[in-house]
Amino acid sequence: MNTAVENFSVRAYRSSVAMTVTLISWGMLFAALFLGYFLLRFNSAMWPPVELENLPVLLPTSASVLVFLSSWSYAYYQKNPPRRTLFLWVTLILGNAFVLNQVLLWNELKLAGIVVQNGMISSMVYAFTWLHVAHMALGIMALLWMGSDHLRRKEISLLKVINVGKFWHFLGAVWFLMYLLLFIL
Amino acid sequence: MAFVEQHIHDAPTSFWSKYLFSFDHKVIGKQFLWYGIFFLGVGGLMALLIRWTLAYPGTPFPVLGPLLFPNSDGIVPPDTYAMLFTMHGTIMIFYAITPLLIGAFGNYCIPLMIGARDMIFPTLNMLSFWFAVLSGVVLLASLFTPLGAAAGGWTSYPTLSTLIGSPGAGQTLWLLALFILGVSSTMGAVNYITTVITLRAPGMGYFKMPLTIWGIWLTSILNAIFVPVLGAGLLLLTFDRVFGTTFFLAGAAATSGKGDPILFQHVFWIFGHPEVYILILPAWGIVSDLLSFFARKPAFGYKATALSMTAITALSTVVYGHHMYTTQMSPLLTQSFMTLTMLISIPSAVFYANWLGTLWKGSIRFTSPMLFSLGVVFVFGLGGLTGLYLASTSMDLYLHDTYFVVGHFHYTMAASVLLGGFAGTYFWFPKMFGRMMSERLAKWHFWTTMIPLNCIFTGMMLVGYGGMHRRIYNPFIYEFTQKLIPINTFVTLSAVAMGLAQILFVWNFVHTIFFKKEKAPDNPWEVGTLEWEIPSPAPHYNFKEIPVVKCGPHELGNPNVTGKDYQYQTEELVKA
Repeated sequence: MNTAVENFSVRAYRSSVAMTVTLISWGMLFAALFLGYFLLRFNSAMWPPVELENLPVLLPTSASVLVFLSSWSYAYYQKNPPRRTLFLWVTLILGNAFVLNQVLLWNELKLAGIVVQNGMISSMVYAFTWLHVAHMALGIMALLWMGSDHLRRKEISLLKVINVGKFWHFLGAVWFLMYLLLFIL
Repeated sequence: MAFVEQHIHDAPTSFWSKYLFSFDHKVIGKQFLWYGIFFLGVGGLMALLIRWTLAYPGTPFPVLGPLLFPNSDGIVPPDTYAMLFTMHGTIMIFYAITPLLIGAFGNYCIPLMIGARDMIFPTLNMLSFWFAVLSGVVLLASLFTPLGAAAGGWTSYPTLSTLIGSPGAGQTLWLLALFILGVSSTMGAVNYITTVITLRAPGMGYFKMPLTIWGIWLTSILNAIFVPVLGAGLLLLTFDRVFGTTFFLAGAAATSGKGDPILFQHVFWIFGHPEVYILILPAWGIVSDLLSFFARKPAFGYKATALSMTAITALSTVVYGHHMYTTQMSPLLTQSFMTLTMLISIPSAVFYANWLGTLWKGSIRFTSPMLFSLGVVFVFGLGGLTGLYLASTSMDLYLHDTYFVVGHFHYTMAASVLLGGFAGTYFWFPKMFGRMMSERLAKWHFWTTMIPLNCIFTGMMLVGYGGMHRRIYNPFIYEFTQKLIPINTFVTLSAVAMGLAQILFVWNFVHTIFFKKEKAPDNPWEVGTLEWEIPSPAPHYNFKEIPVVKCGPHELGNPNVTGKDYQYQTEELVKA
């Protein structure tokens, strides 16, 4: 009976195809949200609307810095996972800091009188950031999963490192887009 | 990339690992088959309740009526009627046809037809099925909420589906159920796409794949891309209902700063139009293969058929606006969407002509899978042609929201897909269960389905052309619809006949699985695709040795082959 052992490059190829399809799917979820944003923006008589003028910028900007640093830190970790475990933990801390930042942002919005019921723009700010944070939570769980492998001194699967990395960078890219569209442009 | 085959896993031994939480694609395919048939029954019963109400409003539904609606003496009440057509559409599209065509045949056929031992991610595959089960439970649970199930139509347009239109928990559960099902579909899509790309047997290029695989693969691509779009819409609508966001609240965004219900229509149809092709592409693929197999000659224009399906897949992504002509869309946009929609008829005509070319001068064997395939050719012709009317802006303004639309999409999405599903079930049944279904009963099933089916959907188009609205509760209340009552009654009686005909299928299916002793031959239909080279039912490892593919899937009727009129895909092509 022929039971040849799969080699790494084949598994990497397969997992790369699967991860690409998965990220396209996830990308479409966020693309649909951005479509709503663009439809609203192009149909709006006045931009930015009054409610958007009061949106805070400091916290979202610092969130962007956190996301950028976490992506950089992960990329550095990815180059040599067994020897650069510290940078996985740094990524994890930065990821958690990002989530905390978002909680502070929601609080600041609320204090400024911007609540979900205000209108479509505030609904968008809340809904988009909720969904993004939900995905960040998934990413953090994946980082913890890898971290536990390190703690148990289990052999680290390079494919796992690569795929979690793709997901993490993807979330970073989505955040930058959100940051630009909702808070800057 | 070099081909490296999968390991052979040990056969499962316990009941749980063999039948419930199985990783085997064949078992998961059968699970989806049972799941789809169950929901087909539920959705079918709802269809009968709807049809009864339209033909005999105010009259108790026979037998089951007093049990289901004791407070109204067995009569379907108006609000329940709205729930029924909503749940009928939802169940038939997402919970019956999708699991049958994509879940059952996709799972069962992909590894067997491409020469693999299983899907690339068996655990993900199992999770996909159990997510679908969870979704089904949530959907059915919504029927028992205090204000009843969702009642905003299968499209769930706001404001019908916002808290104003549907205040109960039923609509929220509907959204949740569909979101979970979307997760399941996306898992399946990732698995199918990756499996087809990476696990094809040596020698099996894309243009040596059976057209069934082409259909399912293209469907998976559409699923992976567009199901998340619906997911986004469902999430935003859930946020509106649960957290008080205002995405879809009535009031134009530009004037009031509140939401825009039309936004949901955009999101829904960006997914919804490809969804039509998500449902029908597997049926097209199956029929394209079966026509060739039972005409005993190669598929006419194989590559053109595959490329036409690909072109249709691509075009299906840019035509969604034709569902929204009546939303005050700019004339420039309506003309663009009309042109793009009309363009789809070109590749459709190519593969339709190829179907006819395949049949031309074939040595046709009128087996039950072939009869159902021919049924698809007929009903898809009607469904496709009536689609041209609705693609035209001027005609659509008149026909929009009438029963003409209902008749049209039932011809394409229900009739074509259902008949294609039956064709596939009869065809692969011996490989799935190791028994042959009764051909005599299957042929009776075909004719007793095919004739009433056409009476139903043609009747729907007639009353729609006469102006009957698609979601009317009682056609007796308007003078102009009163004249349509005889046709409505005829449609209802046809629906009852078609419903009864399905007993033949259920009996044949259940009896053969559980009571028939006689084993099916390994290759009862005498065709050459890979799954017919292994024993029936297929062993848990599929192939002892991974096959090496040497020719296409439709090498039939070659006069140079002696002793049989077909070649297996693993045989060298016999040339003159």
